[in-house]
Amino acid sequence: MNKIEIQNVSYTYSKGTPFQMVALNDVSVAFEKGKITGLIGHTGSGKSTLVHMLNGLYRPTSGRILLDGQDIWEKPKEISKIRYRVGLVMQYPEYQLFDDTVRLDIGFGPRNQGLSEQEVEERVKEAAEFVGIDDEMLEKSPFELSGGQKRRVAIAGIIAMRPEVLVLDEPAAGLDPRGRREILGGLVRYVERNDATVILVSHSMEDMALYCDNVVVMSHSQVYRSGTVREIFSDADVLADIGLDVPAVAKIASALRHEGIELEGELYTVEGVKRAIIEYIGRSGK
Amino acid sequence: MEDIIIKTVGLGFTYDDGEGETNPFDGKREIPALSDVNLEIRAGEYVAVLGHNGSGKSTFAKLLNMILTPTVGKIYIDGIDITDEGFTEDDVFAVRRKVGMVFQNPDNQLVATVVEEDVAFGPENLGLEREEIRRRVDEALAVAGMTEYSSHAPHKLSGGQKQRVAIAGIIAMKPRVIIFDESTAMLDPRGRQEVLDIMERLNKEEGITVLNITHYMDEAARADRVVVINDGRVELDGAPKEVFREVERLHEMGLEAPQGKELLHALECEGIAIDSEALHEEECIAALVKYLKRI
Amino acid sequence: MITDMTLGQFFPGKSVIHRLDPRTKLILTIVFIVATFLASNPVTFLLLTVCTVALVMASGISLGTILKGIKPIIFILIFTAILNVFLTGGVGEPLVAFWIIKIYKEGIIRAVFMALRILILIVGTSTLLTYTTSPIALTDGIESLLSPLKKIKVPVHTFAMMMTIALRFIPTLVEETEKIMNAQKSRGADFSSGGLIKKAKALIPILIPLFVSAFKRADELATAMECRCYRGDKNRTKLVKLSYKGRDALWFVLSALFIGGVIVLGFVAGYMPEELASTNLFRIMFYPI
Repeated sequence: MNKIEIQNVSYTYSKGTPFQMVALNDVSVAFEKGKITGLIGHTGSGKSTLVHMLNGLYRPTSGRILLDGQDIWEKPKEISKIRYRVGLVMQYPEYQLFDDTVRLDIGFGPRNQGLSEQEVEERVKEAAEFVGIDDEMLEKSPFELSGGQKRRVAIAGIIAMRPEVLVLDEPAAGLDPRGRREILGGLVRYVERNDATVILVSHSMEDMALYCDNVVVMSHSQVYRSGTVREIFSDADVLADIGLDVPAVAKIASALRHEGIELEGELYTVEGVKRAIIEYIGRSGK
Repeated sequence: MEDIIIKTVGLGFTYDDGEGETNPFDGKREIPALSDVNLEIRAGEYVAVLGHNGSGKSTFAKLLNMILTPTVGKIYIDGIDITDEGFTEDDVFAVRRKVGMVFQNPDNQLVATVVEEDVAFGPENLGLEREEIRRRVDEALAVAGMTEYSSHAPHKLSGGQKQRVAIAGIIAMKPRVIIFDESTAMLDPRGRQEVLDIMERLNKEEGITVLNITHYMDEAARADRVVVINDGRVELDGAPKEVFREVERLHEMGLEAPQGKELLHALECEGIAIDSEALHEEECIAALVKYLKRI
Repeated sequence: MITDMTLGQFFPGKSVIHRLDPRTKLILTIVFIVATFLASNPVTFLLLTVCTVALVMASGISLGTILKGIKPIIFILIFTAILNVFLTGGVGEPLVAFWIIKIYKEGIIRAVFMALRILILIVGTSTLLTYTTSPIALTDGIESLLSPLKKIKVPVHTFAMMMTIALRFIPTLVEETEKIMNAQKSRGADFSSGGLIKKAKALIPILIPLFVSAFKRADELATAMECRCYRGDKNRTKLVKLSYKGRDALWFVLSALFIGGVIVLGFVAGYMPEELASTNLFRIMFYPI
């Protein structure tokens, strides 16, 4: 089932000025409910515009965005309600922290939603747990924290609004492998527990392969390809055509197949290729 | 005798609690950021300093450039003890002239509103003649591949381009060592590739000693030597092939090996030992093909 | 959007005006401003207009750009004109008399010329200065013109460096403000509704992150500058050294003629022979405004 559908959406920046620039050109794509969909593409391919648009920050120049079949711009005055339903974690979200304590900052969104203090408190607790923030940290000033911790607080601030759709623009940028795993693993838990839909923008194909169910590839203001992770990463050449990589291990698997070594399975994660090789060895009768 | 450009002896550093800087990510300032680091880096080497966020690797870089002063230990740059108490301001600038530094955020290191003026900033500070500044600016822009942007405004460039301008600004000072302090962390893959290409060119063609402080394994694999810092200590030091052989230890430190290596390691754990030397993608492919074709 | 504004922007080019020394342009601008305020009759305004048109043509800036630059000040122009129309008294019968409002011929003439004065001022100075001079050249020019003040310990270089850095970071901070506003909007912040106090309160989630980030940027920039051996203007040289050329001298002569012309045309009316002074054309041209 589709949670969000984008229908023939176009968007032009600074329309009617010399700075005019088409960011999205007749884009149609759907995001499945309860799945993590990766959004990949070069800087300037339009993915960042698309992400802002899902959150109602930009209004399509033409076309519609349907959330559960309902046009989000049907009542423009109520667009802020859409923002509670579609949460957006921006790139380097730590710069949005401002309140006296981590607890207050995470509660900013829920409080804007008009929830009771008791409800806000519950939401804060829940969100903090998701991203691994302990009680002691909740009382600290967000400015005392390290960069990685700030990142987690910022993400918790969005999760606390309990959005049905969570859109994240490079949530793991600049983090080391362990930091990436913690944050992206938290997303998987969020999806499982809340039956939420996640849209994840990332440059890391390795992360895409590990955490996503589906992938949408953007190029030159349009959707270039979309499909399951397996479909998208099974052919390295298709992505190479627009200058994007597949995970290194998928390249290796693809090279092996070119050499006539018939591997089968999920050939885009280390684990998947390992299994395929073991299975191949078994088949070859050794 | 080989020319040792950087040497540290028993180097240690502890941030003052309270006003101490935290590391950009996951920094814990209550523990010593560095302890007992003994390293020798030869002129012309291309070294990657690898470590997770908050491992102390950035502190190490800042010590070499005299942004921070060591708590204990000695640092010698080109044979000169930079921890000497009698260091004057002029001496400090002499060190900085030799050791250039490119930072993480490309926006926060560009001073001027025109690219070439920014590149000229360093040489201007050195008090060089105008013709010499002009020559260096043109040369540096050419090396960084930014000549055609010389009269552009920095804020209109992409992240990768900004970073190349920052690099040109350092090259124009003709340092012997350039430290890249997580200079690729905020860039997209294309920008990262551009910066890495320049690093290699600077090292191979201009003979500049390059230190790349990073947590990207694939970047480290491209260097001639990898130093792994964990909890403020040097854990591993050697050629990429030697360092990445220790996959288990890297995992314990919250790091990984490049995916090809991870794959070979995973197979090895299943009792399929293929080739412990292979590291780069092509090597892994070749090793796998060789092994799998035999059966 | 703030980034779309043309007024005050620099348009790179190679025209005669672009190539003038920034100091010359600064001095010419001051001369020009003085001249616009000295202008006191139609003939001087004619001279001003002709010179402004000539300047624009010499600068190679397109008419479209000039018009776009005028757009944001149209309101001020109209406002000034209206104020002058209503507030200028006159001799003889008012053209319109309604309730307490009386409009005289003098008021209309004054309104037209006041608006023209502002227009000339904006077009002339922006063509001479901001459109054709890079901010950094401008800063260098100011630094150089003010350098005599260094003798009495005025930190001219520091001010110039501050100006350069401000110019460099304005676009960055504008972008950042937009980013932070969007981020807080995503968290349900509302900047448009409510009373004054509520609106002011709504700014806190923007201002705090903006300040935090600006301080961080300043700190990092300072470190980066030190690493590039910056130590004030001690022993510092410059890539671009300002030097007056032949054409600067020519322009100084032109501007002297220009302001001389404005002054002469302003006072000459009283000394004209009677038969010339009584012609209609003369009376119109030298009508005191």
